[in-house]
Amino acid sequence: MDAAVQTKTFVEVSEVWVPEGDTLRLSGGDYGPMRAFEEASRRTSFARGEGLPGRAWAEGKPIVLKGFDGSYFKRTEAAKAAGLTSAVAIPVFAGKSLKAVLVTLCADDDTCTGAIEVWTEAEGLLMLDDGYYGAAKHFEWVSQHTHFPKGQGLPGGVWASGTPTLMRDLGSGYRFIRADSAGKAGLTTGLGLPVPRPGGETCVLTLLSARGTPIARRFEIWDARAAKVGSRGGAVLIDGLCEREGPLWTDDTQEEPRRVAAWQGAIGRVLGSGVPLAEPATQAAGHGYASLVALPIFRGDEMAFVVAWYC
Amino acid sequence: MTRNLVVIGAGMASGRALEHLTDTAPDDWSITLFNAEPRGNYNRIMLSPVLSGEKSYAEIVTHDDGWYEERGIACRFGEKVQRIDRDRKVVVGEHGEVPYDKLILATGSSPFIIPCPGHDLPGVIAYRDLDDTNAMIEASGMQGAKAVVIGGGLLGLEAAAGLRLRGMEVTVLHLAGHLMERQLDEAAGYLLQKDLESRGITVRTGASTKEIVGEDRVEAVRLEDGTELPADLVVMAVGIRPAVQLAKESGLATGKGIHVDDAMITSDEDILAVGECIEHRGAIFGLVAPLYDQAKVAAQTLIGEAAEFRQKQLSTKLKVTGVDLFSAGDFADGEGREDIVYRDPARGVYKRLVIEDDRLIGAVMYGDTADGNWFFGLIKDGEDVSEMRETLIFGPAYQGGGATADPLAAVAALPADAEICGCNGVCKGRIVEAIEGGATSLADVKATTKASASCGTCTGLVEQVLAATLGDDFAMPTAQPICGCTELTHEDVRRLIKARELKSQPAVWQELGWSTPNGCHVCRPAVNFYLLADWPLEYADDPQSRFVNERKHANIQKDGTFSVVPRMWGGITTPQELRAIADAAEKYDVPTVKVTGGQRIDLLGVKGEDLPKIWGDLNAAGLVSGHAYSKGLRTVKTCVGTDHCRFGTQDSTGLGVKLEKRLWGSWTPHKVKMAVSGCPRNCAEATCKDVGIVCVDSGFEIGVGGAAGMDVKEVEPLVKVATEDEAIEWTVAFVQLYREHGKYLDRPYKWLAKVGLPWVQETLGDAETRAALVARFDLSQSVYQKDPWAEHATPEAERTFAPLADLTLEAAE
Repeated sequence: MDAAVQTKTFVEVSEVWVPEGDTLRLSGGDYGPMRAFEEASRRTSFARGEGLPGRAWAEGKPIVLKGFDGSYFKRTEAAKAAGLTSAVAIPVFAGKSLKAVLVTLCADDDTCTGAIEVWTEAEGLLMLDDGYYGAAKHFEWVSQHTHFPKGQGLPGGVWASGTPTLMRDLGSGYRFIRADSAGKAGLTTGLGLPVPRPGGETCVLTLLSARGTPIARRFEIWDARAAKVGSRGGAVLIDGLCEREGPLWTDDTQEEPRRVAAWQGAIGRVLGSGVPLAEPATQAAGHGYASLVALPIFRGDEMAFVVAWYC
Repeated sequence: MTRNLVVIGAGMASGRALEHLTDTAPDDWSITLFNAEPRGNYNRIMLSPVLSGEKSYAEIVTHDDGWYEERGIACRFGEKVQRIDRDRKVVVGEHGEVPYDKLILATGSSPFIIPCPGHDLPGVIAYRDLDDTNAMIEASGMQGAKAVVIGGGLLGLEAAAGLRLRGMEVTVLHLAGHLMERQLDEAAGYLLQKDLESRGITVRTGASTKEIVGEDRVEAVRLEDGTELPADLVVMAVGIRPAVQLAKESGLATGKGIHVDDAMITSDEDILAVGECIEHRGAIFGLVAPLYDQAKVAAQTLIGEAAEFRQKQLSTKLKVTGVDLFSAGDFADGEGREDIVYRDPARGVYKRLVIEDDRLIGAVMYGDTADGNWFFGLIKDGEDVSEMRETLIFGPAYQGGGATADPLAAVAALPADAEICGCNGVCKGRIVEAIEGGATSLADVKATTKASASCGTCTGLVEQVLAATLGDDFAMPTAQPICGCTELTHEDVRRLIKARELKSQPAVWQELGWSTPNGCHVCRPAVNFYLLADWPLEYADDPQSRFVNERKHANIQKDGTFSVVPRMWGGITTPQELRAIADAAEKYDVPTVKVTGGQRIDLLGVKGEDLPKIWGDLNAAGLVSGHAYSKGLRTVKTCVGTDHCRFGTQDSTGLGVKLEKRLWGSWTPHKVKMAVSGCPRNCAEATCKDVGIVCVDSGFEIGVGGAAGMDVKEVEPLVKVATEDEAIEWTVAFVQLYREHGKYLDRPYKWLAKVGLPWVQETLGDAETRAALVARFDLSQSVYQKDPWAEHATPEAERTFAPLADLTLEAAE
C-alpha cells in the first residue's frame, strides 16, 4: 500500500437526513470547509418527494443529480457558492420504513475522476439507472452501454449475493471493455452495495474510486447478520482496505475478525441506531482520516451490513 | 554452532515452520529456501478471492522479500531441485548444490488430472497456484468466454464463482449426486447448488467427463451421456495428490505421501516433511489447519523439543461471497446415530447435527453459520450433550436455562411485530388482532389476514399463535401429517410441490421445512411418487425411496424368495409363452406355479439371485414384467367378449388388451386393477375393480372406485360412452387425475370418497381438460413405460441381486 498522500477527494460533502414525521431533517454531516452550505442545509427540511433527499425517499431508490440549475434541488445557490455541482441521494430502508437518506455532493472539474453508479434490474439484467462520473467521460459512456447478468461483474455479483463487495484492481481483467476503460480512467477500487427498496426489489450502488481523487482512502465492510454473528450481536469486519494499514480482512484460519458491539465506536453507533453516519472524524474513530461515512444495509427489517468509508 | 537447514518448497506449511524456527532460534540455523515457483510464501487459500477480484495478490503475500532478508534466509525461488544426495547430505538445485544438516521437504501436492482424451490441450488447467489463477483471469478477459469447471468440491466451486464474477459463462460438472459431497449432506448440497445457480452458474451433478474436445486448444467438453458443452477454458479441480517424486527418487519411504512419524521425521532422521506432501498414520492433508500444526511440530523437532503431531477434527468453509456454509465431523448416516435438523425455508437455512452416544460427532450448516465454531468445539472436545439435547440446535445462547425450548412459550414470547407469514408479510400482532376480532380457527385467520394462505409453511406457527391466544378454546386441527418428519399433510405436500415447483427430494425437504435430513421410510416413498407424477421429465425416480418389492421388481415371500409374474395382456397368452413359463419354472426349480385372480401365472419361490436370469429367459420369449408388485397398473381382466361368447356385446378382450398396453408401467398412488366385461353378466367382475368397464349394446359403461379386498365396494358410474376410443380416453384421463391428486397409498375408492365423484365427473367432463390429462399421462409414459426385467436382466444387475446386505441406505419399508 502506498503511504497516504493528501489528494483531492471525489466527494466533497456527505450528509444524513432522517425522517421526523413527514419531514426529513438534517441529522449530521461532514461539510469540510463549506460552512455556508452547511448552514443553508441546517435551515432546510424536505417533505416526501421534495428536493433531492425527498425525491429519493419517494422513489425508494438512489437518485443521481448531475446539475442543480433548474432542477428540484432546493439549495442550488448555496451549493453553487460552495462549488458543488452534483449529488447522489441514497435512501436507507428497513423493510418499508425509511431510516434516513444519505446525500453525497461532488464538485465537478476536469481533474476529479471516480464514479457513483446506480444499477437497477430490467428484464432479468442489471442496467445502469444513472451515474455520476466526474471527468471519467469515456467510462461513463461505456457504462451506459453495459449490462450485467446475475453474478457477473461487481454490480452483478452484489446483486446475486446480496452482499456488499469490495473489488480490487478494477482495471485488470474484469468485465472486458468496462475494465479496460476503468483502467484508463485510473479507477482502482470498487465498492458495490445492495440497496434494498421498500417494494422488496434491490438495486445496486457502486462507488468506484480512483487513486488520484479517491472516494475514500479506507473502506470497511461489516457483517451484522444474525446468521453470521449469532446471539452475541454486533458486527464483524469481513473485508476492508486502507491506504495506511493495508488489508483489513483477516484469514479466519489465522485470527478472528475484528468485532464491534452496538454503540461501540462509530460503527457501533450505526449498529445501534440503524441510521447512517457522516461526520468529521476524530483521530481514533477516523483511523487517522478526517471524515467518515458509515451506511447501514438492511435485509427486510434486520440490519445486515454496515459499510464505512473514510477520507 | 550454526547448522545448515535447507527447505524445499515455500508454501504455507514450510512458511509457518520457518516463522516458528526463526522466532524461537533465530541464530541457530543458516537457512536456504528452494521454491519452484518464482516467488515466496503467499496465502494460497486466498487465491480464490484473488481470482474473483475481491483481493489482490499483494494482499495475500505472507512473506515478502524483506521478511526473508531480515531472517537471513537465502532464497532460491524459481529454481527446481533436481535431486537430494543423502549420502553427501546436499540438495542439488538447477544452479548448484547446497549442503544440509537438516532438510525439510514441503513439496506440496499436484493436482489430479483426469486422464481423459484432450486433458493436455491448451486451455485445460488445474487450479493450484498464482500462475493458474492468472491464467484463469487472462482467459476470462475474452468477451462471451465459456468455462467448464470439472469438480464441484471446495476449489472447483470457488473457481466457478470467481470466473463468473469475472464475466464468464460457467458450468460446473460434478460426478457425485450433490456438490461437495465430502463436506456436505444432500440437503446442504441442494441449497448450495441453488445459490450458485442464482448467480448464473450452471451446475450438472452426476456428470461424467468422457473427453475434452479441440484441435489446437480446448473447444468443448463431452460427457459420457453425449452432451457436449462448449468451453474456452476447462478447469480441473478434482483433487490433489501429494508430490512425492523427489522424496521417492531420494529413497525415502513413501506411500500415498512421504511417510513421517509424529515428530514429522521421514525415514531419514535428518529429513523432515510437512504439508500436503506427507502421509501421517495413513492420512494425507489438504486443509490448512493441520498443516500449521505440522509446521509447529517440525520446528520444535528441529530445535530439540519433544513434540507430536496429532490429527484433529477439521471444519470446512467455502470462500464465496454471500455463501454461508460450515461443516465439521462425520455426518454420514449410521446405526445408533441420531439427527437433529432445523430448517428455515424462508431464510434458506439448514442445520443438522449428528449425535452418537450422547456426543456431537458432526455438524452441517447452511445459511446460518454463526454457531459453527461452538458446535465444532463440542465435536473436538467430545463433550456429553445429553443435558442440552433439546435445545442444542439453537446454539449456545439457548444453553444454561436462559431460554425455553417449548415452542408454544417461544411463540407466546414473540413481540407483536414478529413476522409469522413471510409470504404475505403478516406479523404476530395482526394475527392476534384477528383472533381478538373473532377468528377461532386457522381458516378464519387465513381468511382475515392471509397468513398461511400462500406456501403454508407457517401453518404450524399460526396455529401456535391461535393456541397461545385462545388457550383451551383452541383445539389443534386433527389433520394428520405424512409422518413425524413434517407437520404437513399429504395434500399440503402435493399442493406445494406443484405450486412451488419443487423438483427434487432435497428441494422438498428444505423448502417445506422437513425436520429430518432426508425423510424417513414413511414419507420418502410418498414424496418420490408425488415428484415423479408431477415432474416426469425433471425428476428421476429414486429406487431407494421405494418399497423392497418395487426395488426388487418382484414380490418378496415369507421365506425370502420372490414371485415372478409375467404380463398376459388382457389375460391372453399363447402356447409359446406357456412353454417359456414352464421351461423357466423347471430350470429355476420353481416350487409353485399358480394361476392368479388377475388372469396370469405366478411363479412362486424364485431365489433372489436367479431373478435376473429368469427375467432374461422370459424376456427372450417376449414376456415382460406383470408389475405384480407395484403401485401401478396390475392387470386388466377380461372376458372373451364378442369373439367367442354368444352374449358378448363388444370386443371386451380387445379393449382390455388395448387398455393394458396403454397403461402398463405407469406409477400410481396405489395399485390399480381393471376389468372389461363384454356384457352385463359381468364375467370379468368389472364392477369391483378400480376401473371397471361393462360393455353394452349401445357402448361402454365405465365405473370407478370399486374394491374387493379388505373393503368390498361396487364401482360408481363415471360415464357411459359410445366408442372404444372414448372408453380408453376416459379411462386414461381418470387414471391421470388420480395420479395427480391421489394421496399415496389411497386406492381410487378412498380418493373418490375424499374428492367426490361429482368433482371427478365435472373435471373429466370437460373435453379440453380430459385431453390435457391424457397428454400428461402419455408424457409420463414416455419416461416410465419400460420393462424393468429388460433393464435388469444383465450380468451387472445380477451382482446387485446377489444376497448382500445394502448398508448404504435404510430400505424404504
